Amino acid sequence: MRIRRLLATVAVATITGSLAISAATGQDKIKIGFLPGVVDPFYQVMQLGVEKAAADLGVEVVTQIPPTWGVEAQTPILDALIARGDLDYIITAPTDKDQMVAPLQAALDAGIKIITVDTFLGDGDYANGPVNFPIAYIGSDNMEGGRISARGLAKAIGGKGTVYINSTNPNVSSVEARELGFKEVMVAEFPDIKVLGPDYNLDDQNKAAQQTGAVIEQNPDLAGVFGTNVFSAGGAGNAVVNAGLSGAVQVVAYDATAEAIELMGKGVVSLVLAQKPFDMGYMAVQFAVADNAGVTSLPKRVETGFAIIDKDNVADPEVARFIYRVPN
Amino acid sequence: MTETADVKAAKKRLPSAQRFIIGVSKFWPWVFLGLMVLFFLIAVPVFSGGASFWSVRNSQNILVAITPVLLLGLGQTFVIISAGIDLSVGWVMSLASVFSAHAIRATYNAGVPLPFAVMAGFFAAVFSAASVGLVNGLIIAKLKVPAFIVTLGTSFVVRGLALLFSENTTVIGLPDGIRDYGNESLFYSIRGDGGGFYVLEPPADLTTAMIRQMDRILPWPVVITAVVVAICIFLLRKTQFGRHTYAIGGNMQAALRTGIPVDSHIIKLYMLSSVTAGIAGFLSTLRFTAGSAVIGDPLLLSSIAAVIIGGVSLFGGAGSIMGTVIGALIIAVLTTGLVMLNVQAFWQFIVVGVVVIVAVLIDQSRDLIIGRGRSGRGGA
Repeated sequence: MRIRRLLATVAVATITGSLAISAATGQDKIKIGFLPGVVDPFYQVMQLGVEKAAADLGVEVVTQIPPTWGVEAQTPILDALIARGDLDYIITAPTDKDQMVAPLQAALDAGIKIITVDTFLGDGDYANGPVNFPIAYIGSDNMEGGRISARGLAKAIGGKGTVYINSTNPNVSSVEARELGFKEVMVAEFPDIKVLGPDYNLDDQNKAAQQTGAVIEQNPDLAGVFGTNVFSAGGAGNAVVNAGLSGAVQVVAYDATAEAIELMGKGVVSLVLAQKPFDMGYMAVQFAVADNAGVTSLPKRVETGFAIIDKDNVADPEVARFIYRVPN
Repeated sequence: MTETADVKAAKKRLPSAQRFIIGVSKFWPWVFLGLMVLFFLIAVPVFSGGASFWSVRNSQNILVAITPVLLLGLGQTFVIISAGIDLSVGWVMSLASVFSAHAIRATYNAGVPLPFAVMAGFFAAVFSAASVGLVNGLIIAKLKVPAFIVTLGTSFVVRGLALLFSENTTVIGLPDGIRDYGNESLFYSIRGDGGGFYVLEPPADLTTAMIRQMDRILPWPVVITAVVVAICIFLLRKTQFGRHTYAIGGNMQAALRTGIPVDSHIIKLYMLSSVTAGIAGFLSTLRFTAGSAVIGDPLLLSSIAAVIIGGVSLFGGAGSIMGTVIGALIIAVLTTGLVMLNVQAFWQFIVVGVVVIVAVLIDQSRDLIIGRGRSGRGGA
């Protein structure tokens, strides 16, 4: 009997939980699904942009965030979004440029148009590339971001020494381009700098710290680290602090998390590259609305640019507003 | 002495309340699944503005979604019935995915026609997986190391191997036609005017509106998984292999005394567990058109949860394949239903966790009533 009661309690809890969270919704407006890559401050700010645009433009947005990074986490949620049958557009950051093609093609086959933000499918050239079904890619020019990071780090370490790249996952368009841009500049412009890595932390900050720590042990003369996103830069910063090398090993952080800014205050991080996730989210909704209204000249690729933050300009409100801040 | 005889004998001398609990223990996963589907059927249209949980497309989506978790769970069902555990299946799936992608790409680039290249991929997946199972089984059966430790160890080894043999976690560059194997279906049904029912291939030159009205029925991964389910049901219920599995899990000492070749049986069990995981890896390579060295990692715990929700006793000796199918369905229905209700997918973890614990409580209370305490159980 105890067990029956327990079962009943579970059922009631499940139902009331669901009821409390879901809100009754209207109809006849276009509906957009928003499916970012993973839970992190970058995508949370993007979600703010998506929601602001939805409110401004009077469309409805359904957001689902995969608990972990990867196609195996993202695809079942994508499938469920498709199965709803009421979405007109999906705004997503594909977690793999090759593996997510088939699942997103299935969304298209179900009549849902795709806009990719932050990361893209194939080579990102939706006009002439191998994958051309998404309406647009809205995100950073990550190759250029990698180049800016390389020049920033080279300047911070005086143009010579050994640097190390810590990244998240291979075959993800965004971080891959950052590595390429970074290496390109180091080879072409700074022959006295030796580049190690990248190591991949699989979106795990602890692992990023551990990997960076090991590289520091192995290379006592390490001069700098390039962390290619939220998790990499955070982990690299931790490792440098833990090794007592604050200031001696310079970190360039891709993504302007509060943590990266704090580490900059402590002299660990010399340069923070802020992307504009709010813009990406806001514009993606605008694109969906425009496409639905019959606009046919939407650009296939929009680069949202960067704000480059260092200790000299971090107090300037015009720059500081690009730090990723999420209301609690 | 089989499980059913055991239960029947016990039932005769029990009061009705306890008989009721035994009944509940047998059917509650079905009832729970039914109630959950009913809940979503009512709640989804009400709370998400016109979306319907009851559609052909959604049912097929759920079936596709359960395939990887279910395949990992199928072999695991045998292992847990024998009172063992296999913690390596997630990474075995990844390893198989990587090897099958290599095999498909290499054979296709060497000029082999695509269907045969896909077959090569299948065998690469199955053999790479089976060899891990062989190692697991040998160490567990011959060296008498607990299964938990052995498979934990091999899961790390296999993880390393999968990452080493992949090209930075993902093996890409597979032939274009692969997408059809992983994503096309047995039947197609187009609703509305000019629609119809098609076998194997949808008609060419469909309009966008017609594509939107088209349901894919029984996608290939579902068909293949259904075949594996049928084979597993047959193995467990109709063959000596199945009877030995129950016997070893029920009482290892008794199984030895009755002359069951326990060691070789255990080796076969772990190979079976790896092979179903290998098939999952093969199917994921087809579905995502690439081999991935990390694909199975997040699925291991879900697959064990599916097995336990389905009523397989962690103490061994009891359980069924259909139970595991229901367990996997419960998890998939939950994910899909919560997403359709606009509830964050994280709630899925909380509900699954509670359901797992309830499942074990029910299992234990049944054992108490039947009088089969844990003391009588052997098992590694």
